[in-house]
Amino acid sequence: MKSRTRIPTTPLLMILPSFLLAMSIIGYPILDLAWTSMQEVSRFGKMMGFVGLVNFSEVFRDPLFYSSLVRTVIWTVAVVGGTLIISLPIAIMLNDDFYGRGLARVIVMLPWAISLTMTAVLWRWSLNGRAGLINATLMDFHIISEPIEWLATAPLAFTVEILVGILVSIPFTTTIFLGGLSSLPQDSYEAAVVDGAKPWELFRYITLPLMKPFINIAIVLNVIYVFNSLPIIWVMTEGGPANGTDILVTYLYKLAFRFGQLGKASAISLIMFSVLFVFTIAYVLMVMRQEHDSADEEVKHDA
Amino acid sequence: MTPKLKKSLLYWLLLSPLCVVILLPFGIMFVTALRPRDELFVYPPTWTFSEFRWENFAEMWVKTNFGGALLNSLYVSLTSTIIAIALSIPAAYALSRYRFSGKGLYRNFLLMTQMMSPIVLVLGLFRLMVHLNLVNSLNSLVVTYVAFNMAFTIWMLQSYFNTIPRELEEASWIDGATGFTSLVKIFLPLAIPAMVVTAIFTFINSWNEFVLALTLIRSQNDYTLPVQIFSQVAGRYQVEWHHVMAATVLATVPVAIVFSWLQRYLIRGMALGAVK
Repeated sequence: MKSRTRIPTTPLLMILPSFLLAMSIIGYPILDLAWTSMQEVSRFGKMMGFVGLVNFSEVFRDPLFYSSLVRTVIWTVAVVGGTLIISLPIAIMLNDDFYGRGLARVIVMLPWAISLTMTAVLWRWSLNGRAGLINATLMDFHIISEPIEWLATAPLAFTVEILVGILVSIPFTTTIFLGGLSSLPQDSYEAAVVDGAKPWELFRYITLPLMKPFINIAIVLNVIYVFNSLPIIWVMTEGGPANGTDILVTYLYKLAFRFGQLGKASAISLIMFSVLFVFTIAYVLMVMRQEHDSADEEVKHDA
Repeated sequence: MTPKLKKSLLYWLLLSPLCVVILLPFGIMFVTALRPRDELFVYPPTWTFSEFRWENFAEMWVKTNFGGALLNSLYVSLTSTIIAIALSIPAAYALSRYRFSGKGLYRNFLLMTQMMSPIVLVLGLFRLMVHLNLVNSLNSLVVTYVAFNMAFTIWMLQSYFNTIPRELEEASWIDGATGFTSLVKIFLPLAIPAMVVTAIFTFINSWNEFVLALTLIRSQNDYTLPVQIFSQVAGRYQVEWHHVMAATVLATVPVAIVFSWLQRYLIRGMALGAVK
């Protein structure tokens, strides 16, 4: 890329509007949350004075915070792990040429096109204990003999929500993997096949190592998205029954907008923000390293 | 049997459980939207029903104020898409064509804003909108959607802008065009496909957004579609599921068709930009 000598302020003026908007809509609320988290706040949002870290110590003494935290970890690990295990073979199949591949791609990507809210509404009705057609289908195939109340008990409801979470994360993850697979060098495969490598060995010793950067990015991005995901749990069970499916985001939302405990809610927001920040930095570093690598490659090609 | 046919059968066999799980709720959506109300709760539950009740859609339209929510969603999604694209074009152009100090920093800043989710900031945003007196105004959603989508739009546009040869602009400078005219007359027409694709995805993002719409809009008349449909389900003693499903059909099917048609551009844009 050749540099043009023009007035250097032009590009800065061009990025300025977007920068200012991002700072005021995304940057300012973070400062406001930090400020609020150290205040005593009334139900109606009135600041009652500086209290230091009282809100934080209240959060750390709250058993519901810990149970939500544990569930957040389970939710994130289970959804991200399940998504990765299912998405990689799917991406490998969709990257290969077979009859009906176009249709298969459209079906696999479909959950991405529908808002999480709508998907959750659909599943809430499909899983209805009395009239849900999931029960009808399972009964038709004699897998169960009586309708199951899927969303009435916390452990079962949470398991179902994790499965729905996996389902809606597959399209995005598969897309990342497809991007990675299409960039793999074909000649290493041909060389390995000539040497008599079996399909499993090709996967284990060529595909997997070369896909590692894409798998890493998929992990980090999915952790960020899943950790923050409210709609599925909120629409299907609203964190209930008896807070049994609450994760941090649903608990935070209840504290802020149902119970009016704004100080405590700000403290949780800030704790979540710090976690998110660590993962975001990890992501930015990964992207930078990859750009660095591909820049190196370009140099090699030029030489 | 040819090897390709054999492989295709094997792949479809492996993919079929996932396809069934993906398609099942949509099947349930259609058969619920079309059945008579008194056949919703029959025991044992069954897929079959006595007649196709197309009137469900008309009833639902009136009872759930679908038209109002549809207009709200259209207003918010269209306005925020237009503003997001308008603000992103110069930024993406600067990132694609200029070399300036702070460029790398700005790109990382964008990546980080993209990772910030509305839910973590929702309380701060709510308080901000209270200060600005924008709570209950659809414009509060417009402003926030623009901000949260901008990293994506700038990134997508920039990756497409990079593929437009700069020689075309350079030629027009030689012919005496100023930077601005060459931008408007030469560059932007070439970038229209990229802008349309990016705009459609921004539109879909805004169309589907839930958390902010749930929080910042308090009066029923200003609900967007996802919140309107959610409000038909949540906290109600009796849910009119046939209406909810009819509303879901209308709210999702058009978007799903457009998305399926355009998804390869999204994959391409991501491969060019964000992920690579």
